[in-house]
Amino acid sequence: MKEIVRYGFVLTLICAISAGLLAGANMITKPKIALQKANEEKAALEEVMPQAEKFEAVKISEDSQYYKAFDKSGIFLGAAFKASAKGYSSVIEVLAGMLKNGTITVIKVVSQSETPGLGSRIAEAKFTSQFSGKDSALSGVQAISGATISSRAVINAVKQKAQEIKILIENEK
Amino acid sequence: MKKLFQEFIKGIIRENPTFVLVLGLCPTLAVSVSVANGLGMGIAATFVLLGSSVIISLVKKFIPDQIRIPCYIVVIATFVTIAELCMKAYSPVLDRALGIYVPLIVVNCIVLGRAEAFACKNSVAASFFDGLGMGVGFTLALMFISLIREFIGAGKIFGHTLINAFEPVAVFGMPSGALLVIGLLLGFFNYLKRRKA
Amino acid sequence: MKNNLNVNVSPHIHTNESTAKIMWWVVASLIPAGCAGVFIFGLNALWVIILSVLTALLAELTWQVLTKRKVTISDGSAFLTGLILAYNLPAGVPLWLPVVGAIFSIIIGKQIFGGLGQNIFNPALVGRVFLMASWPSYMTTFIKPLAYDTVTAATPLAALKEGKAIEHLSTLELLLGLRGGCIGEVCILALLLGAAILLIKKYISWHIPVIYIASTGLFTYLFAGKQLFSGDWLFHILSGGLILGAFFMATDYVATPLTRKGQVIFGIGCGLLTGVIRIWGGYPEGVAYSILMMNAATPFIDRYTKNKVYGAV
Repeated sequence: MKEIVRYGFVLTLICAISAGLLAGANMITKPKIALQKANEEKAALEEVMPQAEKFEAVKISEDSQYYKAFDKSGIFLGAAFKASAKGYSSVIEVLAGMLKNGTITVIKVVSQSETPGLGSRIAEAKFTSQFSGKDSALSGVQAISGATISSRAVINAVKQKAQEIKILIENEK
Repeated sequence: MKKLFQEFIKGIIRENPTFVLVLGLCPTLAVSVSVANGLGMGIAATFVLLGSSVIISLVKKFIPDQIRIPCYIVVIATFVTIAELCMKAYSPVLDRALGIYVPLIVVNCIVLGRAEAFACKNSVAASFFDGLGMGVGFTLALMFISLIREFIGAGKIFGHTLINAFEPVAVFGMPSGALLVIGLLLGFFNYLKRRKA
Repeated sequence: MKNNLNVNVSPHIHTNESTAKIMWWVVASLIPAGCAGVFIFGLNALWVIILSVLTALLAELTWQVLTKRKVTISDGSAFLTGLILAYNLPAGVPLWLPVVGAIFSIIIGKQIFGGLGQNIFNPALVGRVFLMASWPSYMTTFIKPLAYDTVTAATPLAALKEGKAIEHLSTLELLLGLRGGCIGEVCILALLLGAAILLIKKYISWHIPVIYIASTGLFTYLFAGKQLFSGDWLFHILSGGLILGAFFMATDYVATPLTRKGQVIFGIGCGLLTGVIRIWGGYPEGVAYSILMMNAATPFIDRYTKNKVYGAV
């Protein structure tokens, strides 16, 4: 009985010290981590809307949102949004920018784990650059041969979301 | 002093954790896709090894034998979490590349293995050098494997493409390629050892 | 694998004569399919075959000289490995691809394990899977039949998988091999001719191939259609690498079970896996992977199906 109390005491002590240390480490790194996350998000948004300077998140529903993009002087330029779809072997996530007239600026594949060498080529510029300058109907975007399913997934995801967002921002100033 | 140096140097070749002790293969297989990942993982593991070895040898008299394993794990987990938080704060790219394998250092056999086999029986200084040696040995092994895999599997070294005409052998970037490379390397080292004997 | 040939549990201590004779007969029986492949896809197919075979022989020779072992390239097994590997490649691949594949087949698939009789996997399939994982875009770009050009065509199975409308291929076209596919797998009639030779000479038994093909057919009939019992089983049997795989790769002497019962299990396993991969898996074709997986299971199958020795406890 006495032994068990001793074990409990030692383990409690070690856990308490460790908890204290971790609380400290967390306190120091927390603001830094939040900053990194915000920076990363901003960098990604700037990549798909190069002309924009300021972004503002808008919630559509509980779990979907888009970003309004403004230039230096606060003029509304368009929107950036995330679109996702089931590809060949993974869920593909794409970030896309769209001007207020519905023209796609740049798209960027944020995450995917398609077959390396085949489906993974959807992340390459050769495929994604086709989207730039197209309207939201995306006619003329060519699927990668040998990776039709992955390509189609990206095209359809962007198309669907773009048309949805286009209606939302049409009357924005 | 010479003895301490011995403790350090043994982890690099004679008792290399990956190629001789064959410990910690899970993170080795998973993160050795590129040299940068290998280096990051190696540094994180070395930090944890150093910290846990020193602390455990420091408090070894205080910890009752019967509950030593949970105590070691708490100590190790603390260092791992600190390493993970630092990585998130200062190198988010590396953090994303290593993903789940950073928290999994907690169950890396090398760390617990050194605590159990060395730190709980030896002095603080000896444990420090043992942990450092093992960490460096692990890092070097990881970098060696990932150098091979990154070069053959992606045609790159440290992210730079070397030869443009070379069409990378993608399988070396996949888990199956990791098993292949480690298997062949272990075979090769065993062959060398047997020839020397 | 006929009982009167005395093929025993590996490691094989074999008289060279009988192994070599069987190997060369298998090579001979594969020639019609190769000729058909070259005729259908053009000269590049011939180069792929020649390079694959030559590299396989050279790799075996080099390894055996370097490790100071007996040189056994005349036993036909390296030749056969190179040939089967080439038959598993599309005709339009760059010519370094069969070279790399053959080296991998021989060194990693066979010699690392200790040479013929010790390998757990069919070496040619090891090579194919390695190439498939490494350069999938080359391995899935197929030449259009009889076009003798760089026009590409999807294999019927790939078209099915991607949900494209399949241009209608008649059973006759499938039998003759007028479709996109690997060099040696397309011409079913030529493959059946070769298989008939081996069966008549009793170099292979019918158990594994027939059970493999039948179980694939049954499985696809059950599950490949829109509802149960409506799958196009004949299409599934004729349109992939199934015939080539069943007669020439699933009958590999070394990596398949030795007992009758074991062979039946092996055939059914291959058939089920092929069906599962084709219908629900990520790849359009699953013959190579199924055979490799069952190769891996072979030691277990052998252990649980071995004949009871009379008087043993």
